Parts: sequence; C-alpha cells; structure tokens
Amino acid sequence: MAIDLKTIEQLATDQSSLKAAAGLAKPAKWSGLGMSPDGALAWGECAGSGANPYRVMADLRDLGNKCTCPSRKFPCKHVLGLLWLKAEAKAPFPSAETPPWVSDWLGRRRSSGGAPKAPAPNAQPAGDKDVSAAQLVEPEAADDPKDIARREAAAAKRSEDTERAILDALDALEQWIGDQLRMGLAPFIDDVTARCRRIAARLVDGKAAVLAGRIDELPGRLLALPAGDRPRGAVVELGKLVLLARAFRASPRDAALRRAVAASETRDAVLAGPETLRVPSQWEVLAEQVQTRRDGLVSQTTWLLNLSEAGPRFAMLLDFFPASAGRRGSVFAPGERFRGELAFYPAQQPLRALLISRDTAADATSWPTPEAALTDTLSAPLLAEPWTLDIPVLLPAGRIARDDAGHSWWRSADGSTTLPVAGSAEGLLCGTDLERTAAIWSGNRLTILAAQTRWGRIDGHD
Amino acid sequence: MTDAIFDTMGAVLTRWTMGSAAAPAAAMWRDELGNEPAEAELRLLALSGQFLGVAVTAEPPATLHVLPDIPTLALPTVPDALRSLVRRILTANKDAQSRTELIHFLAARGFTTHPADWMPAAADDDAPDVYASWRDWADIAAANAVSRQPIGDLITAQNWDDFWPAARKVALTALRRRDPAAARAVMEAKLGQENADVRLRLLALLSDELSDGDAAFLEGLAANDRASKVKALATSLLARLGHAASPGEDTAELAGFFSVKTKGLLRRSRVIQFENTKTAAQLQRRQTLFDGADVTSLATALGLTPQELVTIWSWGEDKAADVGLVNAIVQTGTDALVAAAADLVAEQGRINIVLTLVPRLAPSQRARRTETALRASELRFEIAKLIAGPAARLDDPLAAPAGTALITALRRDDAKPSDQAVELHALGLIVSRAAARQILDRLTGAGLLQGDPRLDMLRLNAALDDNGAKP
Repeated sequence: MAIDLKTIEQLATDQSSLKAAAGLAKPAKWSGLGMSPDGALAWGECAGSGANPYRVMADLRDLGNKCTCPSRKFPCKHVLGLLWLKAEAKAPFPSAETPPWVSDWLGRRRSSGGAPKAPAPNAQPAGDKDVSAAQLVEPEAADDPKDIARREAAAAKRSEDTERAILDALDALEQWIGDQLRMGLAPFIDDVTARCRRIAARLVDGKAAVLAGRIDELPGRLLALPAGDRPRGAVVELGKLVLLARAFRASPRDAALRRAVAASETRDAVLAGPETLRVPSQWEVLAEQVQTRRDGLVSQTTWLLNLSEAGPRFAMLLDFFPASAGRRGSVFAPGERFRGELAFYPAQQPLRALLISRDTAADATSWPTPEAALTDTLSAPLLAEPWTLDIPVLLPAGRIARDDAGHSWWRSADGSTTLPVAGSAEGLLCGTDLERTAAIWSGNRLTILAAQTRWGRIDGHD
Repeated sequence: MTDAIFDTMGAVLTRWTMGSAAAPAAAMWRDELGNEPAEAELRLLALSGQFLGVAVTAEPPATLHVLPDIPTLALPTVPDALRSLVRRILTANKDAQSRTELIHFLAARGFTTHPADWMPAAADDDAPDVYASWRDWADIAAANAVSRQPIGDLITAQNWDDFWPAARKVALTALRRRDPAAARAVMEAKLGQENADVRLRLLALLSDELSDGDAAFLEGLAANDRASKVKALATSLLARLGHAASPGEDTAELAGFFSVKTKGLLRRSRVIQFENTKTAAQLQRRQTLFDGADVTSLATALGLTPQELVTIWSWGEDKAADVGLVNAIVQTGTDALVAAAADLVAEQGRINIVLTLVPRLAPSQRARRTETALRASELRFEIAKLIAGPAARLDDPLAAPAGTALITALRRDDAKPSDQAVELHALGLIVSRAAARQILDRLTGAGLLQGDPRLDMLRLNAALDDNGAKP
C-alpha cells in the first residue's frame, strides 16, 4: 500500500512534528523494521531519549497508528518518521510475520478500517505544513566568543547553585534522620509514609529529586517486610541514606552519585561520555517491572541478562513516564533474546544502561555459569556502593521450599545457602528444580525474575 | 569481631526502637563514632545499616518443606513456538468456559499446556483427565502436604487411599473401560467412605460401559445411600438399563398431563396431546413431576415404548414440556433413545434441545449432527461449537450458511476490527487443521490482516499437529 509525503504532511498536527519527523526519517535511528506480507502493516523500533526504544506501528490502509512514546501529539513524530521512511523507501521493510505487539494493538483498536482518517480537527491546515521546509537544514548561527563565555559562566553558576542547594538538602536529610532516631524507630515505622513524604518534599525543593523519589518509595519497601523485620529494615534504609549523603559531600561531581541524588545524565551525555562502557553482546530479557510511584511517575525497569561471559552480567534499562500518559506498551517480551549494544552509565558496578542497537536474534542457548561464591555475589556491590538497593544475582542450582507458615525460601542444591523469597512463590516455580535463577536481592529478600528448569525458562514473580 | 558486632546489634536496635541513644552501647566502634553525640548516632546508623544489610540474613526455620515435582503428563506440552499464541488466547478469553474449551481442544489434538502458561486448580473438575496429576499437585501445594505415591496406575480397594482425588477418578475411569466389573467392585468397597459430592462424581463413571452387572450395586445405592442426589443418580442409571421402577403414583400423575390421540383421516397417526395446563399451578406441578421422572416409566404409563413416546411427541408445541421430557431422556434414557431424540429435534431445528442432549452423544455423533445442523440452517458457529464438542474436526464449515454470513459481515464497509471475534474463535475450535489453513487463506483474501488477533484460534489450529484420536 503506497503512501506519499503529501499524506504525511496532512497527517502531521503541526510543522514542528514534521520537522522532528524529518530528523527521524533516517535508517540509523531505526531497528526491527518490518511489514506484513499483505503490505497493510508497517512497524519498527525507534531510538528515543529513554533507555528503551519506542515501538511504532501503523496500519497503512487507514493510517491508524500507535507509538509507545509518551508524546501527547497524535500522531507523534516517531509515527511520522516511520511513514516517511516507508514513503521514500529510505530503508527496507522486510516482509515478516506480524509481531505479537502489533497484533495486540490491532486487537485493541477502536477505530474502523476503511477510509483513511481525516487530519485531526485541531491540526493546522495542510497549507501551514510543508515537508520540504521540514527537510531544510537550518544553518547554525556563528557563535560569538563573548556569548559562549557568558553561557559557560551562567552554566557554572547554575551548577554551583544546584550543588549548594543539594548540600543544604542533605544537611536537612541528616537532621531529619537524627530526629527519627531520637523519636524512636517504632513511631517512625508507624508513621513512615507521612514522615517520608515531608522530607521528600524538602529534597525536591533542594534539587535532590532522585533521592526524594527514593525516600518516597521507602515506606513501600519497609512495609513489605514482615513486621518483626521492620526495625532492621529501617536501620538499613536510613543507614544507606547517611552513607549516600556523606559520599556525595565527599565527591559532589561524581556522576554515579549525582545520578543517585539529583538527576540522571541525558542519553546524549551518556553516549558522548568517554567513560561510557559499550558492550555488544547477546542479551536475554529477564523481566519487566512497572511501578507507579508516589511522585506520579511510572517507572519501567527492564532487566537483561548478558549471555556472554564478557562485560557486566546484568543490565537495567530504566525509563520514567507520567502516569497520566496512560498504559505504555512493553518494549520486550520476557524470554526474548537479541544481539545488541548497550551503553552503561558510568559506575563502579555498571548496571543501568541504554539500548543503542538491537539486531538479530541471539544464538546462545544457555545461561552463563553463576559465580562460585554466592555470599560474595550478594555483598560485593554493597561494599562498592553501600547505598545500592537492588542487586541482581544469578543463583546456582536450587529449589523453592516453604516453611510451616507458608513463606517461601530459595535453597541452594548443596544446602549451603537459604534465602527468603519476597512474597510467595506459586505454581511451577515451586514444583521443579531451578537449575539457574536470576533474581533481585533487595531488603534481604529475593525477588525472582526468571529461572531455567527442565521445563525450559520460566518467569518468576508476577 | 563479627560475633561481637552481631551481639551488640540487638541492644542498638532496641535502643533506637525506643528512641534512646545507641552509641553508648556500641563500645567496639567507640573510636569510629567520635565524641559528638548526634554525629555518633549517624555514624553508628551508617555502620549498623551496612552490617545488617551485608552480613545478616534471615535465619531459615528448622523445618522447610519441598513440594514434589510437577509431574510430566501423558501428553506433550504445546510446542514452544506456539506457546505465545496459547497464552494470548488464554489472556483474551478469561472466562472459565472459553478457557476450558481451549484446554479440551488442545487435549483432543494430543497436547497439554505448558505448566508455566496454565495449570488447573485442584477443584477444576472441568479439566481433561490428562491433567489429573496436576490437579492433585495443586491440592498438595495448597495443603503444603507430602505426596502419596501409588504403586502403578491400577487402582484397587487396597491402594485407594494412595491416590489423590483427581488421579483416583482417572484411574477408576481407566479401570472401568478395561474391566467394568473390577471398577464396580472397587467402588462397592470404597464409595461409602467418601462424601456425597465425591460419591456422586465417581458414581457417574458407571455410565461408561453400563451393563446389567451393575444393576444390583445401583439398586443398593438407590435404596440405601445417605444422599438423595446419589440415590437419584443410581435410579437414573438403573433406568438407562431398563430397570425402571414400575410406574408409581407420581408417574401416573405425570402421565395424566398427556394423552395419546390419533389424527388424520386416511393415514391415521398417533400424537401426544397436552392436557391440564390451564393454570400456572398445574404447569408448576407438571414441572415438579418431570424432575424425578424416568422416561421408561412415563412411556409405560402412557402405553408406549420410550422410542414411541419420543417419536410421537409434539415437539415445539409446549416448550416447558419439551424441556422436561428431554431432561428425563438425558437422565434416564438409553444411549439409543438419546441419539434418536437428538435426530428428531435436530430435524426440526430445535437447537436448544439438541444442546441438552449432546453431552451424552459420542464425539462422532456430535460432529455429524453439527455438520447437519450447519447445512440445514443459519446456525452460528458459536452455537455449532457447543454441539460439536472439543473433538470435532469439521472440514468445510465456511460452505454452510453461517460461513457465508460471516464472510459477508467481515466484508461490510462499516465492519469494525472487533466484529465477529466470537464467531472466528468458535470456527477455530471446530475445524480440522487442513480446514483451518484453507479458512485462513480465504479470510485474508477477504481483507483480514494475517496478524489479526481474531484469527488467533484459527492460526493455532492450523499450526498445531493433530495427534489426537479422531472421532
């Protein structure tokens, strides 16, 4: 089904969408392009500003479309970019079986097939939009050395102000922690949500937004523990905050610490950074965790296992989007394997990463061998970065066991290690030997992501 | 040192819980904590948190139970390549009936689900027999119990208690097919120790290979069982054997609602005429009498054979009476009588009555009647599915009026993406693999996208090997 630039021009909501789409209509921005054998559906994955690419799909019969990006424009620049690629045949769209995520979208579509859609009512008339103009590269104005110097000075001033504000906020945090100890951990646990909310608000004012988000989620982590374990949990949580505050004071320009306290680097900054670790490898998607946070954001965490021996064992792709943007489609299916290159954010224990490219399916068939000393695996990240909350681990052969109260425990096959499991393990997970288990060790509890068994790979907790 | 820190942590946690300063209790870190009290508390917090986070994990209780392995079933699991399709169909069809239909379809084709995709609950009586050991595993898991391992699959009165409930039912079913008398003997010995619901379920197994040899056992239950529903089932099974009780007062009263008349001048034929149905109370009384009736006694009271009663019944004239008679046929009629009744009502297009009768028909009979019904009327595939059952493999249902109607509806200009989803799903359940492939080609030719999720069931059917027993 043919599509031309005139149609794309009509479909765009405004000229800026067209302009942005022109920038995305480049094969290098895309992976996984495909088309149904009947030529009706086109899809692809477009690198955006987040860790995960956006999944973009369009029905060429009626120009119905969908993108997993959080944009409120419809269609977004990614859809327009996909259609542009197709219209100008800038990249091949190989004929392929419709992926499940496209079929899922087809099943949820409300609009009918048939005639192409009219442009959105609030769209500008086509005359105000021009694909030719969108493709023009505007010459960059020559920078005046004085302007450059002024901008740099202003940026340095802003950075100093931010650092000062963060340090003040950390002072307030330590004061608050001292107050909780003086007033007693028992009343702190009873009133943990309100108390954490108050200090989190102060930290937001002090430009320590990431730390504020962490403290906003502290009650959830603490109250998930058995009541008898909560004082210990509170000491661990508050102790980590003290350590993080002290580490930041000692090295306020450290990228990993700034990421843990204030804000993450942009995608472009990570990709341009000389310290960025780039790891081409074969990856397996272990699990995706989607959590609506108290600050109104939804976090989407995708855990990947490196199937090769070289490079970090795990990678975490982390994206945030506003809860008001509605449900967002998953980018990966658990168990999916692919070849791809990841860029890791600089850290002593590289974990958080960005997906740079994603190519063919991986051919590796088995998971790597777990490290020999499980105790070291669990503790090493905490010795390097004591404020770490989640530690992904690859466990050796083991089995889920239950105590008399029905709580689940993971027990190694050699009986040397027994670890408590968060929540309860149900079904197949507790009815077969777990040859390998990928899990998150946090708060002294294991959250199982996936396991290898005689039944093949199985998912962990829902 | 570690032990000393560990011992100190108890006191530190207690003090902080109560709101007291804890630094004075941590003598081993005196130098690290310093002299300033507030700073010392924060330093102690950092050290204690790190120690508790790294070096202390929850101590497992002395007793931990490991559940037995989930058993491998007699049928293989669905091939890996098709699991995502099965999961999608299960997700899209969350109601119990749709799920049961899919599970039975897979079993009829010689496959089971992967246990990570779907497992039955212990009480899932609708699951195919092949899942019995998974049902029992779910029972064991819920009870946090240990497994009982019977020696072999052959059930006897001696090893009865070694079987978990679902496996016991399957073993009894198998024994009944292999040696009906042995199965009856086991039931005679052990049925009394089970509760009424279990007795009812197990007694129903006797309908398979029912013979005169079962009569004495059934008569004993009909007379002496503690539960009225078990007595009723035993009575109905006896009736199927032709051991109906002689017509009693109730049967005579029920027969009073009908009379046998002759009609026609040249070719005089007999018909059933409905009597005494002027008031709601009379209709209610007739319904009550039907609930406990057996068809042989009713026919005898009217001076007819059961076959004659079914043949001259005025079908369609009194729907409530039709339902009453059909229920009596299903409960107490012989297999031949059920088949004859199904043919009669199918010819008259009374599909709702056919649906009542089909559970007692063999799979091949169900498939044949489905094809007949589809050809004869605009029966929707959604209904045809209920007649056909899970083992059907129809070859050309699109040629039926329902197929033409389906294609027409899909081609309409105002057709919506969700239109006809139920019909397409039902079609996928009742056709043969070859037919599923042909239908997919026709539907995509008619404008449906190959990736359309409405075609999932047809795609699964087309892709799945058919290793099941053909009806």
